[in-house]
Amino acid sequence: MAEIVLKGLRKTYGKVTALDGVDLELRDGEFFCLLGPSGAGKTTTLKAVAGLEQPDEGRVEIGGVDMDGVEPYDRRVAMCFESYALYPHYSAYDNMASPLRSPRYKVPADEAARRVGRIAELLGISHLLDRNVGELSNGQRQRVALGRVLVRPADAFLLDEPLSHLDAKLRQSMRAELKTIGAVERTTTLYVTHDYVEALGLGDRIGVLREGRIVQVGTREEIWDRPADTFVAESFGKPRVNLVAGAAAEGGRFRTPDGEIDIPLPGGAAVPPGRDLVLGVRPRDVMLVRDGRPADGTAELRGRVYVTEILGRHSEVTVSVGESRVSLVVPREDAAGLGREDEVRLAVPTARLLLFDPADGGRRIAP
Amino acid sequence: MNKDRLTGIAVNAGLVVYFVFALFPVAWMLILSLKPDNQLFNTYFSFSPTLDSYRTVLGGGEVEGVPFVRFFVNSLVVSIGAVALSLLIGLPAAYAAARWKFRGSENLMFTLLSFRFAPELTVIIPLFVLYQQLGLFDTYVGVIWVLQLVTMPLIVWIMRSYFTDLSPELEQAALLDGYSRTRAFVKIALPLVKPGIAAVSLLAFIFAWNNFVFPLILTSSNAQTVTVGALSFLGGDRPKYNLTAAAALVSAVPPLVLALTIQRYLVRGLSFGAVKS
Repeated sequence: MAEIVLKGLRKTYGKVTALDGVDLELRDGEFFCLLGPSGAGKTTTLKAVAGLEQPDEGRVEIGGVDMDGVEPYDRRVAMCFESYALYPHYSAYDNMASPLRSPRYKVPADEAARRVGRIAELLGISHLLDRNVGELSNGQRQRVALGRVLVRPADAFLLDEPLSHLDAKLRQSMRAELKTIGAVERTTTLYVTHDYVEALGLGDRIGVLREGRIVQVGTREEIWDRPADTFVAESFGKPRVNLVAGAAAEGGRFRTPDGEIDIPLPGGAAVPPGRDLVLGVRPRDVMLVRDGRPADGTAELRGRVYVTEILGRHSEVTVSVGESRVSLVVPREDAAGLGREDEVRLAVPTARLLLFDPADGGRRIAP
Repeated sequence: MNKDRLTGIAVNAGLVVYFVFALFPVAWMLILSLKPDNQLFNTYFSFSPTLDSYRTVLGGGEVEGVPFVRFFVNSLVVSIGAVALSLLIGLPAAYAAARWKFRGSENLMFTLLSFRFAPELTVIIPLFVLYQQLGLFDTYVGVIWVLQLVTMPLIVWIMRSYFTDLSPELEQAALLDGYSRTRAFVKIALPLVKPGIAAVSLLAFIFAWNNFVFPLILTSSNAQTVTVGALSFLGGDRPKYNLTAAAALVSAVPPLVLALTIQRYLVRGLSFGAVKS
């Protein structure tokens, strides 16, 4: 039980900068997801908290105590490695019981057996405990690795992509169950992933990491509705957010160079005419207009179907509006009968539009 | 007759030729060791085989004034001692060299390696003087110590690569499980490099066992080893090649036995499944 504070963490490997001033504050008991593409520094951040990597600059505090010079085994944190890091010469049971036999977290053997049994059951690996690690599939190994973390008391859990190698079905049910496990509920958890669905589904708060820097920290609503910049906007959602390049025009409007998209600026943003802008709209916010007038509070676009793709119950339709492409997700029956080059009308709710400044690294300027 | 079969026969024939070539010296020694004294210099392959040479060599050697059995025991003591000492110091050293880069670590490793490629003769004279003054001349401790030049670099260098191949995350996991660095090393890293330890111990033992120059100069009778001892049969009024051959064959037995017993540990793959590939 502890809050974790990272202040200005910096770490370089030769010429490669892994962490470039990471600041982060995790509240006590919080489930915090750290999302970023590979190479963003997620694992390095975890290892810095665990004390396995020494940061070149900055400090790590766990429970208000500066961890500088504190050995990993004295930090009272448990970590689940992306590579599992299971002991190959031990059985699954011995792997999971390992922390409970160590000098620091030792419990009586029957107590250890009880705890391992309970967690193994939660993770659905009770029948595998006698097996050698080498005989397990990747998904099973990953659950053993997660089990080794959950059996022991800790001030913080550090989980590095703990569900990445489970098959899709199991991953979904584990995602749902993970947060309901008592230990996880009570313990500050730093969860690293590159899967935005996991981050949105699990994180009390989410931090987005890019090239060794924290780009944004917020709740899932804040991250989804108010992304700090185009990078964050693009990191969440599939299909990706539509980003359309254009410029501010007279009368508080946004216009693409070919003039095909000409709509009011969202949120009444005051932008001097002529300034370059990037407009963002999520595919699920765009609607197809069959006939009649588009609904109030929406702006209309006219274009031609470029390609349609079926995503199960929904279809993704990509529409060319002049030189720009806008994709949208609509119920499958709405898109039925749409062929290439068919003319369509689209409605975008102006309240859901995002405005970014390409001159400032794609920072959001409105709403 | 298809083509595959012809190739197979050709390959086997080639292997047989090489086999004969490689084992010829051994066969020659065996023949020599079975010859009686008076037929030793016959130039044709007809003699009445006898085990007399072995009896002389193993029978306390009092007949020839060469205590071969004692040399044999000496060799065992110093070779095992040298390997054990090198493992004790070399394993942690190799681990440290694999896991941590510190100032001068590469220079240190290179210096260690240089003991292997520097000719032993370049250091033997000063060593002889030192040993005389320190009272290490012709003692077990002295020979074991000097054999570190042979065994230590081998063990450190080979074991370093084994430790490097081992994912550091295994020990990191042990640290987070609450084990100290020493415990993580003993509990996790060491068991996983067992095949490497077996292989390198065997190699180091053979090198130590076969070493000739150090015992030749630094021992006289108490701590003398078989490599030097076997030559003693060549002194005297006429060279007794049959005794030397028998002694050489007998002294080939321990490395051979060791190699056979250790064989099953030489198979790698124990670390299979440790981390995802």
